[in-house]
Amino acid sequence: MKPFDFIMPGSLSEAYTVWEELGPAARLLAGGTDLTVALRHGHLATDVVIDLKGIAELKPDIEDDAGWLRVSAGTTMTTLCRYLSERALLPALQEAARVVGSIQIRNRATLAGNVCNASPAADTVPVLAALGAEVEICGPEGTRRTLITAFIEGNRQIDLQRGEIVTAVLIPKPQGRHGCAFDRITRRRGVDLATANLCCNIDDKGAVLFGLGAVSPRPLVLTDESGVMGDPKANHEDRAKAIQVMAAKARPISDVRASADYRSAMLCIMADRACKTAHARRAGGMDA
Amino acid sequence: MPDTLKSLGGPGANSGATTLGSLKTMDLMVNGQPVTREVAAHISLLDFLRDDLKLKGAKECCAVGECGACTVLVDGEPVNACLLLAVEGQGKSIETIEGVSKGAQLSTVQHSFLKCGGVQCGFCIPGMVMSAEALHRAMPEAGEVQVREALSGNLCRCGGYNRMFDAMRDAAGQKVQCHTTAPITGATVGADISRLGGVERVNGSQEFLADLDIAGMAHLKLVTLDVGRAQIKRIDTSKAHAVPGVIDVVTAADLPQPVARFGPAYQDRPIIAVGETRYHGEPVAAVVAESKDIAAYAAGLVEVEHVALPAVTSIDAALAQGAPLVQPVELRPDDPLAGSNVLKELNFGWGDVDGAAADLVVEKTYTFPMVTHFAIEPHGFIVDAQEDRMKIWSPVQHPFLLQKIMAGLFDLPLGAVQVIAPDPGGGFGGKQMPKFEPLVAVVSRRIGRPVRLVLTLEETFQAVRRAGARIHVRSGFSKDGDLLFHDIQSDYLIGAYVDIAERVTTKGNYLACGPYRVPNARIRARPVLSHTTPSCAYRGFGTPQVNWAVEGQINEAARQLGIDGLEIRLRNVADKGQEIVRGEVPADGHWLQAVQRAADMLGWDTTKPAGRGRGIAVGIKAGATTGLSNAMVRLLADGSILVFAGTSDMGQGARTIFAQIAADALGAPYDRVSLIMGDTDVVPFDLQTSASRSTVFMGTAITRACEDIHAQVIELACDTLGIPETEIRIEGGVIVLPDRREPIFDFVQKSLGSWNGELIGNGRMRKPNVAEHPLGGSPAFFEFNCTAFEVEVDRDTGEVMIHKHVTVGDVGKALNPLHVEMQDEGAAIMGLGHSLYEQILMDDAGRIRNLGAIDYRIVTSKDMPVRLSTGMIENEDGPGPKGSKGVSEGAILCTAPALGAAVADAIGVVITDLPMTPERIWRAIQEQTLG
Repeated sequence: MKPFDFIMPGSLSEAYTVWEELGPAARLLAGGTDLTVALRHGHLATDVVIDLKGIAELKPDIEDDAGWLRVSAGTTMTTLCRYLSERALLPALQEAARVVGSIQIRNRATLAGNVCNASPAADTVPVLAALGAEVEICGPEGTRRTLITAFIEGNRQIDLQRGEIVTAVLIPKPQGRHGCAFDRITRRRGVDLATANLCCNIDDKGAVLFGLGAVSPRPLVLTDESGVMGDPKANHEDRAKAIQVMAAKARPISDVRASADYRSAMLCIMADRACKTAHARRAGGMDA
Repeated sequence: MPDTLKSLGGPGANSGATTLGSLKTMDLMVNGQPVTREVAAHISLLDFLRDDLKLKGAKECCAVGECGACTVLVDGEPVNACLLLAVEGQGKSIETIEGVSKGAQLSTVQHSFLKCGGVQCGFCIPGMVMSAEALHRAMPEAGEVQVREALSGNLCRCGGYNRMFDAMRDAAGQKVQCHTTAPITGATVGADISRLGGVERVNGSQEFLADLDIAGMAHLKLVTLDVGRAQIKRIDTSKAHAVPGVIDVVTAADLPQPVARFGPAYQDRPIIAVGETRYHGEPVAAVVAESKDIAAYAAGLVEVEHVALPAVTSIDAALAQGAPLVQPVELRPDDPLAGSNVLKELNFGWGDVDGAAADLVVEKTYTFPMVTHFAIEPHGFIVDAQEDRMKIWSPVQHPFLLQKIMAGLFDLPLGAVQVIAPDPGGGFGGKQMPKFEPLVAVVSRRIGRPVRLVLTLEETFQAVRRAGARIHVRSGFSKDGDLLFHDIQSDYLIGAYVDIAERVTTKGNYLACGPYRVPNARIRARPVLSHTTPSCAYRGFGTPQVNWAVEGQINEAARQLGIDGLEIRLRNVADKGQEIVRGEVPADGHWLQAVQRAADMLGWDTTKPAGRGRGIAVGIKAGATTGLSNAMVRLLADGSILVFAGTSDMGQGARTIFAQIAADALGAPYDRVSLIMGDTDVVPFDLQTSASRSTVFMGTAITRACEDIHAQVIELACDTLGIPETEIRIEGGVIVLPDRREPIFDFVQKSLGSWNGELIGNGRMRKPNVAEHPLGGSPAFFEFNCTAFEVEVDRDTGEVMIHKHVTVGDVGKALNPLHVEMQDEGAAIMGLGHSLYEQILMDDAGRIRNLGAIDYRIVTSKDMPVRLSTGMIENEDGPGPKGSKGVSEGAILCTAPALGAAVADAIGVVITDLPMTPERIWRAIQEQTLG
């Protein structure tokens, strides 16, 4: 690995001062489960690594405030899963966070890192996208919030300006009668990257949204405009048709994990399954 | 230790620097002790623990957080030490495997791992134990779901998962069926005795190759190209040379010309690429430096001007008219096939295939992917090469073969080449033959220092693999299901250099018709060269490929004839004494018993649950055909026993079996036996550790060495007691005297003192070469296996859920039933890998697309069948001690065809290409629906 320097700022202002000064010569480190591999393999090179874990404002913390969950940038998947599970919150996000790597990975990997890494196959992103989650970004110019669907601009590309740091992921807690579910397809049952993944979210009015992963360079959120998917009693053919219409908007690629047409087909399978689970959750009145 | 650190400078003379990058000071707690150290920012926590603190329990394998071999606890939570920078440890409390046991006092989890047989080669075990510890501490009563999840970030290639699940139940205080028993002196053979060397493996103190620190050692890194085949135009090493700490950079031009070539059968592989690379990852240069970190960094600075050349990486491409020749004609003098990529045309057969009148002819083509061994220990080598002698450390399966090849290459007497073979952390055939030992030796000689090369997992993938295959078979059957003929055309895709691939193709295809009575057979097999990693030995040695096809034919015939998969096998599989290959030794076991046992264990006759399918298949592999194994046993005056054996214990448990044999033969407690292995200066010659031969060959040699001691014990008794020889005899480990019976162990303690010495027994087993036999000799035994499955398939996604997986081997005699089960399960799980997930994928430029642990999928704890069970048939009819046979490969021979039959039974689609990935099964279902 190419040697680099290491800075561990203690405060946010200290962090973005140095981050702004260094610009492209530096990389931000949270859990490191993606960054370390990229640096070792030479996919990325850097002169300086700025470790965010010393920043007081980013310490692992989840706040439930005014209808939003604010997940600080230092919060690991393990901490997130435990928090959600203890409160029976956001089962779809739990499902997604629980399959990010192994326990060892989830003990390091952060939710914010999963978003910022901007891998099209990230598991939490379709859920966050479908829920309308945002990232909170602090920088020299102040603080801004942006939708995750806008923040992720492409494969490994994010809307982060010089000096800016993602400080939290903000997730709106669905209100009223709603249901949300996550599904994924992998090559094996054990730890694996998603071949394709998907989240289905049904809101209190019965509108159905799908967040799709690994089938386009950036997260794809599709609305069921037919209204069929919102009807739990809709017949199979109508559902299949509605799903087909949506799946046609995905742009999957063929790669080492799967072919494009398998991905497309699995989108339809997952959409149907996740939608059924979401309806069941909605009917059960569970907090989803 | 090597002797000297002769010329610290050497060529390059840029020595001195041992670290790269600016140092940070950090304070942390490690295993309860405060530590303050300086470390460079880019150094991983794993390297810091291993290299700076010398805590070598945590291992490096994948370096991407997939394998878990480096798992440590940070503030009580398991993490991958390879993914943390050491500097992130600042202020943290780290617990490593070294901190888990209190001296020799093992933790509950460690104790359970040993007791339940969770430990094989042991390379994954320190990491595995850390994950298991974390779970056990947080949730002592954890059930199997939690256990499978907790261990799923740790890969075990020996396939010990079932035993680990048992271990966790045991640790939770539940009753576990299968675990080790306390050895009863004189009767350890046949009992589940705990692994010799097991404690070192669970507490992390076992030293593998990468854990060795040899004084004065420098570190080598290979320079490779990101292309399959290329012409090398120019290599500029100046930037690498300029890095402080770099000692030397070596290319083909720096070596004695012409650059020597080597190989076990064909001397075709150059020490380093000369002018052209022939496969993705073939090294073109090597950088040697004061640290592995410096070497790795500098290797990236070597500039290689090259031109990509067309590469052939498939059978079709290699056989195409006008295909580029993988090996130039001059490398294959006097070879009529030198103008093609076909290495050999092998023909076997008997009877009259064309004249056989069949009611049903089945004709299909099957493919088997290239797969890689993925031993959790990546390959590594250390060589201290002087002008007149050489010392090599290599976790090699065949230390004496390595010695011979190196002595030949470097023109040294055998006695001047010492090979020290630390226990391999998994071998599976991949560690049989020399790979980079010659290159490391050349560099060591140049710089006058010991040199170490430890490959990354990616480099290991590029170094070893199994031959892929395409097999076309026509098979004839009577309407009642009698097998009448097989007409087999096998093409094995081997690599750019032959290694042992010709023999793999030969041995696999010689028995292509499997364990059946086949009246007519024609087998044409070709190893085909390609621009890919040289394929080598791999568990099953050429049989799993052809057996996938031939068993697929039997299954297809059964379906078409409306006969049950079990019935067609009971009808055609040879039973003991019946001929399989015309003129060859006949079936050496009651194979039909194994078939019936597997069916019974699966519940073949029971009502099949809705939506499930069942399948069954059989396979045989030829055991070792030739070779010599020597053993020496020293019985010391106090009854201690030293056994000297040239076998490599790579997880199969040879050390344990040998100790059992010697203990019983000499009436000694098991714990008084020590095994000395893996040092050619010390142990007598053994041909190799392969073909599941060690129990039979070395086990027999040790038995005979003990018999040699028996004769001396009688002499001792005559001498000390004044009794005539005719009145003394040995029974088992007991000396029978006119007035008493006494274990030899006790007797020598009383009597040997007067001789002032010890008794030394020598023994050997030799199976001579038979020149006219296609294999050089008849197999010493056959490994027979029957495997059966019950599965469910998700028709929407193509995912397979295995409810039951049963494997039964014909083992002769299980000297240690628990060890037999561990080997059998390991082979079965490895078989699941190539059946369901594993495949090396190439791009058009001849590059491996899924290099490394992220996109090459092997079986994890969560992929284990709901139930996997092993049965064994014991008729004590093998050639080894107590009638034993080899057992390490049987269960991998027919995993895929049995699983394929079960999938077909469940959903009605027949897969002929491996692996049966969800996508492949889904696609077949789509075609079925459309068609």
